Amino acid sequence: MGMEQAWLIPALPAAAFVVITLVGKYLPRKGDWVAIGAIAASFVLFFFVLADLLDVVDEPGFTGGEKSWEWVSFGDFEIRLGFFTDQITIVMLAVVSFVALMVQIYSVGYMRGDPRYGWYFAVMSLFVAAMLTLVLADNLLLLYAAWEGVGFCSFLLIGFWWEKRAAAEAAKKAFITTRIGDVGLLIGILMLWREAGTFDISEIFEFAEAGGYGATYLTVAVLFLFAGAVGKSGQFPLHVWLPDAMEGPTPVSALIHAATMVVAGVYLVARMLPLFELADPIALNVVTGLGLTTVLISATMGLAATDIKRVIAYSTLNSLGLMMVALGSHSVTAAMLYLFVHAFFKALLFLGAGSVIHATEKQELDELGGLASRMPLTTVTFAVGTLAMIGIVPLAGFWAKDEILHFTEVGQNAGVYGLMLLSVFITSLFMTRLFIRTFLFKSRDPESRKHAHDAEPAMTVPLLILAVLAAISGFVVFSGVGEAMGFPGGFGEFVFLEHAEEFEFNWDIVVLSTVLGAGGMMVGYVFWANDAVPATRMGELFRPVYNVLYNRFYIDHVYQFVIDRVVLTGSSIVSWFDRNIVNDTGVDGSAALALLAGWQLKFTSTGKLPNYALAISSGVIILALVFLIVKA
Amino acid sequence: MNIVLFALIAISAGSGPLFMIMPSRYPQLSRYLALLVASTLFALSLVAFFVYQFDGGSGLRYELQWDWISNIGFFGEDGITFHLGLDGIGAPLVLLNGLVIFAGVFVSWNITHRVKDYFVLLFLLVSGVYGVFLSHDLFFLFFWYEVAVLPMYLLIAVWGSSTNFGTFTRTKEYGAMKLTLFLVGGSVLIFIAMMATFVEAGLGTFDLPALSEVAYDPTFQKTFFPFYMIGFGVLAGMWPLHTWSPDGHVAAPTAVSMLHAGVLMKLGAFGILRVGITLFPEGAEFWAPVMMTLGVAGALYGAIAAMTQTDFKYMVGYSSVSHMGFVLMGLATLSDIGVTGAVLQMFAHGAMTALMFTSVGAVYDQAHTRDMTKFGGIAKKMPRHSAFWAIAGLSSIGLPGLAGFVAEFHIFVGTFQSGYEWAGVLGIIAAAISATYILRMLALAYFGPLNEKWEGLKEMRIGEQVAAATLISFLLFMGLWPAPFVDRISDTVSAIQAIG
Amino acid sequence: MIPIDNFLVLSSILFAIGMYGVLARRSALLILMSVELMLQAVSINFVAFAVYLSPEVFTGLVFAIFVIVIAAAEVGLALAIVLRLYRNRQTANVDEADALKW
Repeated sequence: MGMEQAWLIPALPAAAFVVITLVGKYLPRKGDWVAIGAIAASFVLFFFVLADLLDVVDEPGFTGGEKSWEWVSFGDFEIRLGFFTDQITIVMLAVVSFVALMVQIYSVGYMRGDPRYGWYFAVMSLFVAAMLTLVLADNLLLLYAAWEGVGFCSFLLIGFWWEKRAAAEAAKKAFITTRIGDVGLLIGILMLWREAGTFDISEIFEFAEAGGYGATYLTVAVLFLFAGAVGKSGQFPLHVWLPDAMEGPTPVSALIHAATMVVAGVYLVARMLPLFELADPIALNVVTGLGLTTVLISATMGLAATDIKRVIAYSTLNSLGLMMVALGSHSVTAAMLYLFVHAFFKALLFLGAGSVIHATEKQELDELGGLASRMPLTTVTFAVGTLAMIGIVPLAGFWAKDEILHFTEVGQNAGVYGLMLLSVFITSLFMTRLFIRTFLFKSRDPESRKHAHDAEPAMTVPLLILAVLAAISGFVVFSGVGEAMGFPGGFGEFVFLEHAEEFEFNWDIVVLSTVLGAGGMMVGYVFWANDAVPATRMGELFRPVYNVLYNRFYIDHVYQFVIDRVVLTGSSIVSWFDRNIVNDTGVDGSAALALLAGWQLKFTSTGKLPNYALAISSGVIILALVFLIVKA
Repeated sequence: MNIVLFALIAISAGSGPLFMIMPSRYPQLSRYLALLVASTLFALSLVAFFVYQFDGGSGLRYELQWDWISNIGFFGEDGITFHLGLDGIGAPLVLLNGLVIFAGVFVSWNITHRVKDYFVLLFLLVSGVYGVFLSHDLFFLFFWYEVAVLPMYLLIAVWGSSTNFGTFTRTKEYGAMKLTLFLVGGSVLIFIAMMATFVEAGLGTFDLPALSEVAYDPTFQKTFFPFYMIGFGVLAGMWPLHTWSPDGHVAAPTAVSMLHAGVLMKLGAFGILRVGITLFPEGAEFWAPVMMTLGVAGALYGAIAAMTQTDFKYMVGYSSVSHMGFVLMGLATLSDIGVTGAVLQMFAHGAMTALMFTSVGAVYDQAHTRDMTKFGGIAKKMPRHSAFWAIAGLSSIGLPGLAGFVAEFHIFVGTFQSGYEWAGVLGIIAAAISATYILRMLALAYFGPLNEKWEGLKEMRIGEQVAAATLISFLLFMGLWPAPFVDRISDTVSAIQAIG
Repeated sequence: MIPIDNFLVLSSILFAIGMYGVLARRSALLILMSVELMLQAVSINFVAFAVYLSPEVFTGLVFAIFVIVIAAAEVGLALAIVLRLYRNRQTANVDEADALKW
């Protein structure tokens, strides 16, 4: 067992999907154990693959383990299904299989009694299979296929409770918005293929390094690729679907819209970063710019959002933006490290929020509060997640965020660095708000608090495990920790683009970010403690600002306007054109013309013999004349 | 094996008299006979597809050639022969035809008006389609082409339905008449080009393999390729000659819509490839940019027009225009990948649209309306039906794992390979627009809270479910393992002179 | 030998007279007679060219006889029609026989 068999990792959940879909009805517990068993087996397999990789990773010239099959071929055109394992893949595999396992176990409790319980586990398994295929794909086509696959599963799961109008609409919005990005992705893939003649990622790298692509061509191509990442990873301006996607069941949000699918865009850019490096610097500047914009707008929108899950969704956007900025600063290491730890603390936050919703059946912040005494376990784990998100020493988020800040300081200009620091403060502020409004002080809706209590073990155990990881997973940056686990060194010495990066403590940044994070928490406490009077007053004072934030910078409004007024009007015009111009005028018109011509011309048949005789003779005479003239 | 090919035509055309002697008092007997005939055809089509061997070369195999007229007047040796044969392009399309008629009989189960006549015409149409796919004689190809087109008029005008859309009305007579006039108009162009080809070749034969050996004068090719392109293009729903298609769907009964969009429109694209591009390589090259433009225009136009349709059938009709636009794009690339993609798309679109119409029919039979805005949340009442709809829709928007993706992907690769990047980009956008109208339809009619009015809806009939499941199995087959299709198609496609 | 021009002029004059008769007359009988004139003009042409161009074969002459035969048959048929017309309408005026108009 090893990298050769890495394909089994996605194959097992895929098989679980097939089994549950076909015979799940007849299985005990509707087959949830099949799904959990499959993903658990995948998680175990992951260790075999990891061990195999660690054996060979130090060998010179190692680029990754591969295994592929021919799928379609004719002439020199060939598409292979291939699986590829290297360090980036391993990180993703760890994240996806582990978080999926946690979420699946949690779901047993959360989804109990749902009429489509079995279907839920089937689709979750399909999602995991697609996501694992995505990270293992050795060629862009398989990656694209899996990319669409996860998007489709996301559609099914956001719309899982499709009887709710909002859920159906959110699912549609998510699918279409990401699809806009996918247009770019597919164009980018085809552009890369056209010159290189292959979809294989490593062959494309070789081709690019040999200078096969023109600089401008490559820049355009990677920007198209990035469009796909923008859609999937919810970067500005295609971020609008992610907050709405919270209509899905909360474990879905934890797995898909926090830990795994949304980071597919980050993964894509990280995987293709060698191409971005070869392209014009504009490409990475775009990545940085959009990432930074996303960081800032999401953090500020998070300040005004009122739904507990939406606030966490904004924090996810915020994190995704940070990862993009890291990639824009040429650092795969920082981005992947953040991705790694983010999966734990964000899944934790979502599952915690899920426990709150499960217990109270409320998700508006105004109806929550004071749950700490009722749900101590949830509160503590949620607090760990919040602190990790803010980036407080020594929780996982701290190390990853510092890596990103470090690379931003090195790789970007002062403006970007300054804005990143600002975002640390705002993030801290809105995360504090979320925590205080949910768990502390007195409840604003006593009814919801009355029956609230910590959930059953199936739900709390994953919370605890994730909380522990959210607390300690950041230590992998240290060489000692990495070596103790059998890695060549710390995270930076394992996952890197060009050369290993040993972690170094940059005191300036540590102090700055800690001060900003803690400051945000203190300001937040002042604002939202007790009845949030200062915050309300601030809101009153800066009413226009608040309105802009509350209305999400009106971006959704603009899009809605464009869809209603431009797209649908355009479509109506086309269908009107088709019905009235092409059909009623063009088609029916020519029919009417024929009818009219027939009506007019029929009066020439007078029935009178002399008329006909005249016509015949003049015809003959004219023909004779024509003949004579032509002949002469 | 060549007997199988003959049997496909003979059984479908010869079933007519059998239906005539069926007692009309027991329509159920006719239905079972139809099922028997269709199952036989489906089985034989499967045999034809899977037994077909591919090993390079032009791939024309299992030939059967009977003289009809030769050595008389201006006819030379092999003047007009009944020449059947299977090649890599025909094989998947034969399978498609068997598949669609098999599903179509299940869907036709609830036809009660003149059941016998209905099946006679339906199978006559099918025989014409088989004839076109299998004929390698230009004259007979045209003959079967007409046989396939004309029963359509009666099927729509007698068994169709008229609909009042508020601002305008479409009667079944109108739909049938428009369809027939358009297609006959196309036939005129084909006929002219056919005669010109015969005379120019000067061989005194209509045999296609013989005609394709001739090197025609480039000017002649450039003059007459458009005749084939437009003549067959009408049936392929080529923009802007597509309007017969959505109106025809709206008027036609369900099974006829399935055959119409599922296989009949493929005849047009098939004709362009089998006759136009094969005979006139230089003409094809000269006119390819035009064909590409029309294909892209159709793909975008159909998709955009579909976005605001409220009638299920209009939506599917316009989406067919859009998808046939992809087929034309694939043909216009004149690259082996693109043309293979075009043939794949013919199959994928055929199975997918048939599935869509099955679903539309299932809901229309019960609700007697096709206005999607009047529904809401009916997935609760018809879960399987909704799943079938969704799968068809997902194939149409090119979800990997289903047939549509494989086909569209090949076409897009073809456009990039042949230097039509702009067309590829616009095509990808059109495919993305497909997602909007499919999801809009699903969200409007199937999701959301259940509209009280449809409390009484029931799941679709078992027969329809069998039909849908059969179609889906092929969508999945091609989506997950396209190699059997690609191997067969590319085998023949790469032997065509025009395609490099 | 008489120059061919003379025959041609004769046949042209005959033809023109016949054509005038067909176009200007309203009586069916007179129209028929005019048609006969035109036919004979053609016959003259046939015979003249036959003699002048290839006296040894009889193609032109055969055609002249053809014309005569057809003219006879035609007259037979046409007179029958005229007779029926007169019986039904009490007139042989072709202007009044316009039942086959649009």
